[in-house]
Amino acid sequence: MSTEQGAAKPRTRKLRTWTAFGELGRRPTEYEVLTHGMNHTLRPTPLELGPEVLGNRWLREHRDAISLRVPDWDAFRDPDAVTYGSYVAMQDDQETYVEGLLERFDREDHDAGLSEEALQRLALCVTPTRYLAHAQQMLSAYLQQLAPGSYLATCATFQTADQLRRVQLVAYRTTQLQRTHPSRAFATGERAVWEQHPLWQPMREAAEHALITYDWDQAFVATQLVFKPLADMLLLQQSALELSTAGCTLDALIADNLWRDSERSQRWTTVLLRMLVEAGPENREVLQRYLTSWVPRGQAMVEAGSQLLAASTGRAQTQIAEAVRAGWRSLVEPAGLSVDPV
Amino acid sequence: MLLNRDDWYDISRDLDWTLSYVDEEVAFPQCWTGKRAIPDEAWQAWDEPFRVSYRDYVRVQREKESGVKAVGDAMLRAGVYQKLDPAHVAAAHLHMGTTCMVEYMAVTMQSRFCRFAPTPRWRNLGVFGMLDETRHTQLDLRFSHDLLRFDPRFDWAQKAFHTNEWGVLAVKNFFDDIMLSSDCVEAALATSLTVEHGFTNIQFVALAADAMAAGDVNWSNLLSSIQTDEARHAQQGFPTLQVLMEHDPQRAQQAIDVAFWRSTRLFQTLTGPAMDYYTPLDQRKMSFKEFMLEWVVNHHERILADYGLSKPWYWDKFLHSLENGHHAMHLGLWFWRPTLFWKPNAGVSKAEREWLNEKYPTWEENWGGYWDQIIANINAGRMDLTLPETLPALCNVTQLPLGSAMSRHDLEPAVSVYEGRTYQFDSDISKWCFDLDPARYAGHMNVVDRFIAGQIQPMSLAGGLEWMGLTPDVMGDDAYGYRWAAEYAPAMAD
Repeated sequence: MSTEQGAAKPRTRKLRTWTAFGELGRRPTEYEVLTHGMNHTLRPTPLELGPEVLGNRWLREHRDAISLRVPDWDAFRDPDAVTYGSYVAMQDDQETYVEGLLERFDREDHDAGLSEEALQRLALCVTPTRYLAHAQQMLSAYLQQLAPGSYLATCATFQTADQLRRVQLVAYRTTQLQRTHPSRAFATGERAVWEQHPLWQPMREAAEHALITYDWDQAFVATQLVFKPLADMLLLQQSALELSTAGCTLDALIADNLWRDSERSQRWTTVLLRMLVEAGPENREVLQRYLTSWVPRGQAMVEAGSQLLAASTGRAQTQIAEAVRAGWRSLVEPAGLSVDPV
Repeated sequence: MLLNRDDWYDISRDLDWTLSYVDEEVAFPQCWTGKRAIPDEAWQAWDEPFRVSYRDYVRVQREKESGVKAVGDAMLRAGVYQKLDPAHVAAAHLHMGTTCMVEYMAVTMQSRFCRFAPTPRWRNLGVFGMLDETRHTQLDLRFSHDLLRFDPRFDWAQKAFHTNEWGVLAVKNFFDDIMLSSDCVEAALATSLTVEHGFTNIQFVALAADAMAAGDVNWSNLLSSIQTDEARHAQQGFPTLQVLMEHDPQRAQQAIDVAFWRSTRLFQTLTGPAMDYYTPLDQRKMSFKEFMLEWVVNHHERILADYGLSKPWYWDKFLHSLENGHHAMHLGLWFWRPTLFWKPNAGVSKAEREWLNEKYPTWEENWGGYWDQIIANINAGRMDLTLPETLPALCNVTQLPLGSAMSRHDLEPAVSVYEGRTYQFDSDISKWCFDLDPARYAGHMNVVDRFIAGQIQPMSLAGGLEWMGLTPDVMGDDAYGYRWAAEYAPAMAD
């Protein structure tokens, strides 16, 4: 058989990029090439199945009937333009840094030298966070699976992975503390703290309510504007400061590092908020309505969380709470949203 | 003290708590968890052997990414693609158009595991699945985008699932069902265990070997790299099956038997023609049947035996189909080539035919006559007779043509009536799938149902092609421009 005709015979149309970009007017970035228009279910009957199967009913009810409206969800871009390749490279660097911290502090026998107060603080504010991070992991995964576009879904994918990173780092630290201080309840006592400690309950209550918030737009507000940013501001950003004061230097540095992941989450959230409110004033009303319904839970998280963090050696509870509220406001106010109690 | 992964791993999976502010049944609805009557304690036995740490994952995957990219860049610079055999290239078009979006769908299925799987162990492993599938999507997209300037058919890596091309709809129908509309248990048995752990070996191991033989180092390398990830996250099926075998073996048997048949039919469409017809003869490693027997059938039989499951009731029919189904599909694909976005190779030159008859002793008897007629028409200049004027009747489960599952003699109708509507099937196995759970398939309209209902206008083949999104620059035609038929022409035969 003749094979002289090569695969690349001249053609009339030479494509430079996906036709799906239409008239982009510029070369798409690698991030765009690898992320654009990959949700095939954005059609009247989302899945290629009977209209009444579970998948179609769920998407119709919880994604396609949402109140937020934008002309094109795939107009959204992640400001960090994260691709799989850049994600694993970036996070490998971060994990290398944390690995270095673990080795350095291990050489210095850091955990053996922790004070009573420091150990209590770790048992109260750090090791129980594996439950919190797992809740955030589940919520991030939900945002991915119902996302009305692949740019958004991909942000949620990497956010889900960030949460597992945190779960595993917390488990690592919990085990180290357990081995150095076997008489304490590290690794065994966290569930009770998470389930029963009064100052953890507003956090858990918000997590559980976010889990049953299935409409995508409400889930976005619950997770990205309330539960996750507040929990991270409290238990990573503010906690790092308090841990440092209490002599938990290693955990303060790890929390600082994990906070970088949270900042990345807030960056894409901010950009999405801007896109939504620019798409129409009714979107701002919708967002504000959902946010307002979540403000009491958020305020309760801030109140209780700041009490959890406040210690005699550190800042006053009100100072911590005010810092978190300021962070919360700076997340939502650029989009014209308010988190003031009604 | 510094720790090994096993020191802390179990704590990282000890994440369940008792919900008290909301109803657990609402937060973890049965429709997605798939727990049904299986007690909560049973899921504590769910375990996976890979025990992946995030730290190791990002390190190893970063290295893999660099490796694949380096090979890809080198091959592009070397102009390897431009030198490839056009029949082999068709296999790449077919693969990218029908697989890239499935990888992306798998991100979403894994994300369902992360949110709704009945144990945090599984929910955590799903995260690596989400990342892996994101990788595979982006690898396929980068590979295809790099080659766009040589062939607009690579646009279909991104575009195919936004069209109504009938083959794509068949793929979409299957994966929308088992990935995006099934509960976690069903999805793990059908997708992780049956498709990923079994059938994708054909796509990613056999096709990788064929691609390497064809000189397509870049694609071969990409397929092999993907397979290293599949081997990890496909593990989610086994612990799920283990739990099912303790508590609901009947459900496991049924889910796997349905998925095995539907996978067979799909791979007869996607991989069978690529291996036995598109891969240039001197580069073929094994026939599709041989590969299926060695990598899928033996493997599947072993899993069934290991877990105490029976072979599906249709096993003998399956083996009969293995001898025939992909030849029927290939004949149909080639004949309806304007409905494809790749250029199929007929693959029936005299030498190829000899190979086919050696590998499939009943090939000539079943399929030779059809091809002889096609060849005669080509050589008589009657190209019109080699092209379709209508659409074939399609199965309401597999979405594939009636008559394409078995030999040419197996044409007895398989029909069910459900809620007043008549559904047709390519085999009594597909009918059996439908009858088990009619609501899962009912209400869907296949391409021909839509055509008859007047949803495709104008009601002609041309209207159908337009509806399918097939533009002239990608529309399928014979890969070699029919030159292979010349050796059969009377003048040459003498």
